[in-house]
Amino acid sequence: MHAYLRLLTIFYRNAIINELEYRLNLWSRLLLSLFWLGWSAVGVSVFYVHVDRIAGWSYYELLVVLGMFVITNGFRQLVLEPNLSQMTEYVRMGTLDYILTKPVNSQFMVSLRNLNIFSLNEPLLGAGLIGYSLWHLRHLPSPAAFALFGLLTIAALLVLYSLNLLLQTLTFWLVNLENADALVGSVVEAGRLPVAFYGGWVRWALTAFIPVAFVTTFPAEALLGRLDGRIAVVAVVLAALLLLAATTFWNVALRSYTSASS
Amino acid sequence: MHNLLRAYRGLFRANVAIAFTYRAQAVIWMLSFVFPLVMLAVWLAVVDQAGPVGGYNRGDFISYYLVGAVLYRFVLMGLTYHWDHEIRTGELSVRLLKPLDPFHYYLSEQLGWKVLDLLILVPLALVAALLIPGVHYALSPARLLAFVFSVVLGMTINVCISSAFGMIAFWTTQSRNLFELWSGIGQFLSGFIAPLPLFPLFMQRVAAVLPFRNSVGLPVDILMGRVGWAATGQGLLVGALWALGACMIYRVLWRLGLRRYEAVGA
Repeated sequence: MHAYLRLLTIFYRNAIINELEYRLNLWSRLLLSLFWLGWSAVGVSVFYVHVDRIAGWSYYELLVVLGMFVITNGFRQLVLEPNLSQMTEYVRMGTLDYILTKPVNSQFMVSLRNLNIFSLNEPLLGAGLIGYSLWHLRHLPSPAAFALFGLLTIAALLVLYSLNLLLQTLTFWLVNLENADALVGSVVEAGRLPVAFYGGWVRWALTAFIPVAFVTTFPAEALLGRLDGRIAVVAVVLAALLLLAATTFWNVALRSYTSASS
Repeated sequence: MHNLLRAYRGLFRANVAIAFTYRAQAVIWMLSFVFPLVMLAVWLAVVDQAGPVGGYNRGDFISYYLVGAVLYRFVLMGLTYHWDHEIRTGELSVRLLKPLDPFHYYLSEQLGWKVLDLLILVPLALVAALLIPGVHYALSPARLLAFVFSVVLGMTINVCISSAFGMIAFWTTQSRNLFELWSGIGQFLSGFIAPLPLFPLFMQRVAAVLPFRNSVGLPVDILMGRVGWAATGQGLLVGALWALGACMIYRVLWRLGLRRYEAVGA
């Protein structure tokens, strides 16, 4: 465990040092992510020019969900997406062999090795947006609500990680899965807003089939103190099951993998 | 002129072929399509709850986003990325040796993408328009003509402005980021996010004099019969002025930049 943490530190420090060479670009990327945060918040405000609440959500309550979206989407762009796109390269070029021969867990290497540091600030921006909205709502969550929120956030990140790993594993068979991150991205996009905003079967699909509700809506509800406790249990079980399924799938696929280079 | 047309036909065919096999732009492609759907879903929830919003009912919103989402894909131009890449890597030098202005290579590649878009999206949109109840457009020959004219103006504006942003690459490495900022602002003021009449009044006033509206808002409004002829003429005039201005700015920057590029290269 300790060795893995050290490896991550080395990988990520290198990624940061690499980009620090282009400092101007780094600064303008940071400014741009601030711009896109404002863009999202102002964009959804157009609804509230016409109504006070939508499906029971006021504007600032909605911003809590949006903040959760920025956090989880930021995590996706920071860690998941660079590794998913690298995976295509590994399989096509046969460089996956180098990873398999290294004395570390292969799943660790393919799923956490790369980092897109341009998204490093997005989780912070999302947290900032949530803080700002709560302040506007004059709502201070109880310690229990914070704990529940933390638990659900971890579950949300694990859900995203597992779905990403499932896609990475599929790369073994569908080598050209470069567009997979576009697919994930556009599904996650629906998490900008509370699932209650969507009608009938869409809401159902976003909760049960593609668990977008678990990624943004439920953690936000936990923070706002209106989450049904049973949902938290479902979220934890779901995250654990998905992680187990993804890990198992990876290990099974690895056994049947024949390299492009051999 | 004849030679240029022939060159375009060749380049165009090659680029359509490339677009069909090489789908790297899929990220932007998918995202720009999901976002309008998300916005539409919320408007529908709002209408269900509170009745028509600003004169838009269920069918109006569906009609708006259906055309708007397709148009946005079609009118959007990313020439900045071509210019920026070739100027920074120096590949522009090779292009300059060829008899055709580099602009034509990039533009024909973009148009190749547009053909791909249209072949997929237009049939989808047509089916949706026929199947979904309440979708309606005010189709008349005059309106269709004004619609096409508005779209052509929107495309011209975007071609020249995205090229002008590409020219910034002669001076700094930030042209892509600046263009991203510009596009983000444009998503508000073009009507991509929501119909412009639903925004606060001051934003509508600003949008009326800026170059974005010809990309989405104006053509859709024309097609839906939401603007009178006077307002249509006014919008088209503003668009024409911007098209002219943007193309002039791009050409001037090109001359200046090229002088600088040669100075660096020599």
